[in-house]
Amino acid sequence: MKNMRWLAMLLALVMVAAACSGSDSSEATTDGGDSTEAESTEGGDEVVEAAQAGDLTFHMITHSDDGPFWSVVKRGMDAACSDLGVNCVWAPGVNDANQMVQDIEGALGEGSNGIAASLPDPAALVPALQGAVNGGTPVVTLNSGANDYQEIGALTHVGQTEFIAGQAAGERFNAAGVGHVLCGQQEQNNVGLTERCDGLADTFSGTVTTDFMDLDADTSAQQAAINAAMAADDSIDGFLGVGPVITMSGLRAADDLGRDVTIGGFDLTPELLGAINDGDILFTVDQQQYLQGYLPILQLYMFQTNSNVIGGGLPILTGPGFVTADNAADVLALSEAGTR
Amino acid sequence: MSDTGTADAVVDATPSDAVASAPAADERLAYRSIFQRLFIRPEIGAVIGVVGVWTFFWAVSLNFGTTGQTQNWLDITATLGIMAVAVSMLMIGGEFDLSSGANTGAMGILFILLIKEVGELGGLGLSIWIAVPLSFVAAMGIGWANGVMVERTALPSFIVTLATFFILRGLKLGLSKLLTGQISVTFTDESHGYGFWQPVFAGEWQRNDHIWNSRDVVYIGFLVLGAAIITLAVCEMHFVRRDKLAASGLPIFGAGVAGVAAAIFLMHTTDGVSANILAAAVLGISILVGLYGFSTWRFEPQAAAGGLNLDGSIMPPLLGGLIGVGLASVASFAIDSDNAETLFFPFTVQGLRVVLMMILAGGGFTLLMVAGNKALKQNMTTKLVVSSLTAAALVGFAFVIRQSAEATKFRTELFSVLLFVALALFVWSVLGVRFAERRKIDEAADRTGMKAMVLGLALMITAVVLRHLFVVQAELDAGVNPAKFSVRMLWFFAFTAVMVWILARTRFGSWTFAVGGNAQAARQVGVPAARTKTQLFMIVSGAAWLVGMLLAFRLSSLQAGAGDGEEFEYIIAAVVGGTMLTGGYGTALGAAFGAAIMAMSLVGIQSARWNTDWRWVFLGVILLLAVIANRFIRDRAEGARR
Repeated sequence: MKNMRWLAMLLALVMVAAACSGSDSSEATTDGGDSTEAESTEGGDEVVEAAQAGDLTFHMITHSDDGPFWSVVKRGMDAACSDLGVNCVWAPGVNDANQMVQDIEGALGEGSNGIAASLPDPAALVPALQGAVNGGTPVVTLNSGANDYQEIGALTHVGQTEFIAGQAAGERFNAAGVGHVLCGQQEQNNVGLTERCDGLADTFSGTVTTDFMDLDADTSAQQAAINAAMAADDSIDGFLGVGPVITMSGLRAADDLGRDVTIGGFDLTPELLGAINDGDILFTVDQQQYLQGYLPILQLYMFQTNSNVIGGGLPILTGPGFVTADNAADVLALSEAGTR
Repeated sequence: MSDTGTADAVVDATPSDAVASAPAADERLAYRSIFQRLFIRPEIGAVIGVVGVWTFFWAVSLNFGTTGQTQNWLDITATLGIMAVAVSMLMIGGEFDLSSGANTGAMGILFILLIKEVGELGGLGLSIWIAVPLSFVAAMGIGWANGVMVERTALPSFIVTLATFFILRGLKLGLSKLLTGQISVTFTDESHGYGFWQPVFAGEWQRNDHIWNSRDVVYIGFLVLGAAIITLAVCEMHFVRRDKLAASGLPIFGAGVAGVAAAIFLMHTTDGVSANILAAAVLGISILVGLYGFSTWRFEPQAAAGGLNLDGSIMPPLLGGLIGVGLASVASFAIDSDNAETLFFPFTVQGLRVVLMMILAGGGFTLLMVAGNKALKQNMTTKLVVSSLTAAALVGFAFVIRQSAEATKFRTELFSVLLFVALALFVWSVLGVRFAERRKIDEAADRTGMKAMVLGLALMITAVVLRHLFVVQAELDAGVNPAKFSVRMLWFFAFTAVMVWILARTRFGSWTFAVGGNAQAARQVGVPAARTKTQLFMIVSGAAWLVGMLLAFRLSSLQAGAGDGEEFEYIIAAVVGGTMLTGGYGTALGAAFGAAIMAMSLVGIQSARWNTDWRWVFLGVILLLAVIANRFIRDRAEGARR
């Protein structure tokens, strides 16, 4: 009887574990027609002849599927694939580098004609992608990976450099005549978010205070933390939220305090765009992630059909684009259509 | 709350003089003094924690004590506290609910999906009047399912609710994206019934809109009255009541009261140091006189106070303590208070000075307390002498702080508090010499004392609440930050009160302790264990529903990830509040205080402008201290009962 109970418990654990991992890895869906058998995997170094578009299959392997961000990336990929008439496989992840490595190997096993991958964890992913390049499969990195794509031998990198995005935000605050910006982060130890604040500090002429507030999962605490930080320092007259949710929390905190704070944000949500349209928030940094889905497929296509490499070995930046009161209404409409 | 607060027993069979005087030999009726009874309440650790953490951040940050920041940390406490209280009840019942965090967001999102307009993507377009009860039914269903699954499968609730957590988390994300194409759901104020329900769940009190210029008079009056009543209540519960009241004490009491009133009036109406010193002296003497008169009227005189006897057990800690406080004062003056150099990271000269003063003074006063306890074992006269010396040391140290600190809050507020502590110490030992301490149970006196204490507390709390809710013109002119008090806090107070009452006063409450302590034994004595546990899960889920409503109305929109991962914060708050992880022991009120501690540390660290990287270190230390303190208190409670 006792054994049975342990067995049942073990079973439950296994099922839970399977449910967690199963839901992500097996979600890879095939877009377009049948995936064709690979012919071009051998002798990849020399381009034999131009491939036929309909025969090509590209894999896009990313580290996250959560949120409005990646669904726009996927729409960009879908558009490129149907525009160019190639087959595409979308393999989203859950911030698990191991699983991404498996997806890369799986794609190679299927004879992929090109891999577009994000690079959240270079140490784990660089060897796998190098393997792909050495085996003759072209690789493009997207979103994160600007520092490592050359080491991999990838054709190019498509994304936004967080540091440059932060620098551009700093210029905006300079133009607005702000003296002291609080740079609020919604995650601790996220290199990308820290780089945004570092970039801000680089170009901004006044003082920058960078701090972790609270997680997006608890917006009450987030707002209270920002409130306390602003109340503790009267000189703070600017706030940069490095995500859309924390930006809105910053706006509410400033409202509660009755303080006139110039607010900037990152990325797009309908709420945030509405606040920009109303003039409550000055700008948001838009990394135009639709391009991060579209351009890698285009690059892989051009390489396979015409041996073209875009960008001259430099990364292709999709951002920072800015949404301000001038274009918020247009972007809001596009955002509702799912392409911004 | 456990039954530790009621008459338990000291059964160390050796008939100490405490037990010897009790006529009945029933050990459950043995007498414990009011301080002993207070100290073994399970929530005392959390109460001390709240006071300690508050004082700490009050001292290190500029505006932690202001109304704006009080509102700020109370706001976090509200939603965290509702869940922590519910979770602590479930933990007392011996189970966990890892789905409770995700459940808060799930209920809010479900609610929004129910009322969202049909026209655009998703949403049922129901009236809020229907959606509120409908989502509540769903919450009850989730709680019921959790409970039944735990009971039927006999699996640990950790595993079962982990599964529920994943399911809810997936449903939130999946349904939001499926129905609205986005990961956050939003509703507008056009929904039917919004006008009624918005104030219910998200009403706000704008402090700066409520001007009341005589606020401070009421505030001080209530505060002093409350403190006075509590003091008298403590006396009532500590000394032997006379059979026949001695009216001769009444005029003295009256004189004391008049003196106190005059002193407060003087303080309130005059400015300037000399007037204030005069008023403080009058106040101190009046308090002594008033209490003396009250005690003469009401309590038996001390038969024999005994002679002074400073023996070998008292002298070392007494002298050591006095030297420690003296050295602290020397350190304060010896190190230049204008020196802003950094010695080595992260210590500045000022930091070193403060740490040195804290250690020396803290050690000194601890030794003096030890000496006081030893003196108490001798006789009351000895105690009076030691207490007077301690009080003198406190007064001296208060002046040192006044001399050396820059900030007004140290120069005036901390200074006054230290003087009051010294006064209390002195007055209390004077009364101890003159009047007989009660050593047996007097239920009538305890009842009166308890009622008075509750009244006094209520007055003091009212005073503080009024001070925070209203603003005076002078503050507005000085540009005080606006503060919005949300109705969320009322929900939190009400929910906590109901749960504390259920746990302490109802059969269901007793069953909760029983099934958490030993479910098998509980079943055998006829407690419906399965039903009790299922109902506890439903309470947690109901609390999650309430928080979900509060979250949904707060922003009119919710992220799919709202609440995910928060369940551990609830458990931590419950543990900090004195609830055992093993079940069967704990307190709902303590969990509410635990939530307050966590909220205060979040806001306090920001207010102090520390790098938030250290927040987890701070929380870790708090958690560790709380668990150790609770363990200690629990051992004492059980030791007293054994």
